[in-house]
Amino acid sequence: MTTLLPTGFEALAPFADRWAIDGSIARAARRGDADPADRAAFFAAAAPLLDAALTHLDRSPIDALPPAEQRLMDMMLTLAHVSLTEEILGDQEPAHARQRHHMRITRSPAGA
Amino acid sequence: MSDDSLAWLGTAPIPAAPYHDPAWFDLEREAVFRRSWLQLGHVCELPDSGSFIRREIEALNVSLLIVRGRDGEIRAFHNVCTHRGTQLVEEESGRCGTFSCPYHRWSFGTDGALLAAPDFDRFFVDKADCALPRVALDICGGLIFVHLGTPDKGLRDDLGPYATMLDGFPAAQATTFSEYVYEIDANWKLTYDNFQENYHLRFIHPRSGAPAVGEDNPFGYPVKMGFHGPHRTQTIWTNPDPAPKPVQAQSFGRAARFAMADGTAGPHSRDYLALFPNFFILGSPAQPFSHTVWPIDARRSRGVIRLYWKGKDDCASRRYAREYAMASARDIHAEDRDVIEAGQRGLNSGALKHIHFQAQEALCRHLFNAVDERVQAYRAERASATPPPVSRAEAMA
Ligand code: FES
Ligand SMILES: [Fe+2]
Repeated sequence: MTTLLPTGFEALAPFADRWAIDGSIARAARRGDADPADRAAFFAAAAPLLDAALTHLDRSPIDALPPAEQRLMDMMLTLAHVSLTEEILGDQEPAHARQRHHMRITRSPAGA
Repeated sequence: MSDDSLAWLGTAPIPAAPYHDPAWFDLEREAVFRRSWLQLGHVCELPDSGSFIRREIEALNVSLLIVRGRDGEIRAFHNVCTHRGTQLVEEESGRCGTFSCPYHRWSFGTDGALLAAPDFDRFFVDKADCALPRVALDICGGLIFVHLGTPDKGLRDDLGPYATMLDGFPAAQATTFSEYVYEIDANWKLTYDNFQENYHLRFIHPRSGAPAVGEDNPFGYPVKMGFHGPHRTQTIWTNPDPAPKPVQAQSFGRAARFAMADGTAGPHSRDYLALFPNFFILGSPAQPFSHTVWPIDARRSRGVIRLYWKGKDDCASRRYAREYAMASARDIHAEDRDVIEAGQRGLNSGALKHIHFQAQEALCRHLFNAVDERVQAYRAERASATPPPVSRAEAMA
């Protein structure tokens, strides 16, 4: 296997297949559908690496990220959604997910 | 803001019927929506000559085609072929040199002129009289407004001091945006009002809205309100002692740094404008969103929320900051929808003859007053206009 994630971010490897998600709509949906324990584990692993990940990724042109970097980018973008559950909503998440469902994302600058 | 300084808005209970009655809504269609500047797009959607967007205004059964012409000017037309009325354009947006009707192939230029029609010499009309019906369009702060009637004032005149404010909002410089849309079983005013009062903050947004309330302002009441004609503004209170969570702090911190670098962090970061009838925009540089509530019928609406951004997301941090800003704004908006619908169900029962607004719901009262004024004027106008008898010959002329 070639490198799944850039050096320094190996700790996120177990989460890559479920949390490296392309597109805002799919990322928002995964946040709501996810197994709560899995989501919490992803947040616990990814949140402390957010700053380092973006600092690393900012060194490459955004539209030509190597596959490992792209994976990391997609994970951080999913983290943006997931952090709202884990940091802000807590046990309000299940009721909230039902309401969020009505807010259809139709456009985001990098592709919905 | 003292309660006395709002006395001019009145203090009486507000009739409930305008928030659910179909007959009242029919009056609003004409009195309000056909007679106001309506916000429905942004110049960044029309980057090139021939760029177009189609927009539906269901309350008026109107479909509009908005096009940037060869000359660079942006124009609005009814999306209606002048041959026999077929809707000309089906795509939601695109780029096109000419618009060709699917029915008999009349084709129109980006300026609305009829360019060619098969077998045209067998018609009994001049090409010059077959241009697409034009609709008044004006732009302020990068935002496109249309007027479906005959505007008695230009847009900037109508907005007064708020035109300059709008010029200073981040949307004025935007080149792209994020968007989310919701449908709601609720009257447009009831929906819109939710977003111009903070009385509900601590109950409906106990966690997501925590940064907007504080010990010395538990309801997060605004610092300032202002009014100009049917439009209004508010300045949001800032909690001096916020306790942001780590990811939240990093995310908004990044967004704020980009706004500073881009020059979109203007003087209005805590202000919002509520422009009559159905448009709302916030000047915040980290979450610069607009919200339009489109009526569909008396008890159904659609909200369109956009976060406007300047420049491409040219690096990972910027892309991330935009994703976070959208996700968190969407969370807060999502929390409001259920309770607005519950309000509508209560009103639909007809159990209430009146509803009540407190001083901190002054913006809601102001909207009702502006709508009521227009509806009453329209009623009076209709009552005094005795239609002259129409002969068959005239009707056909
Ligand atoms: S209706 Fe459009 S060409 Fe006939
Ligand atoms: Fe709210």
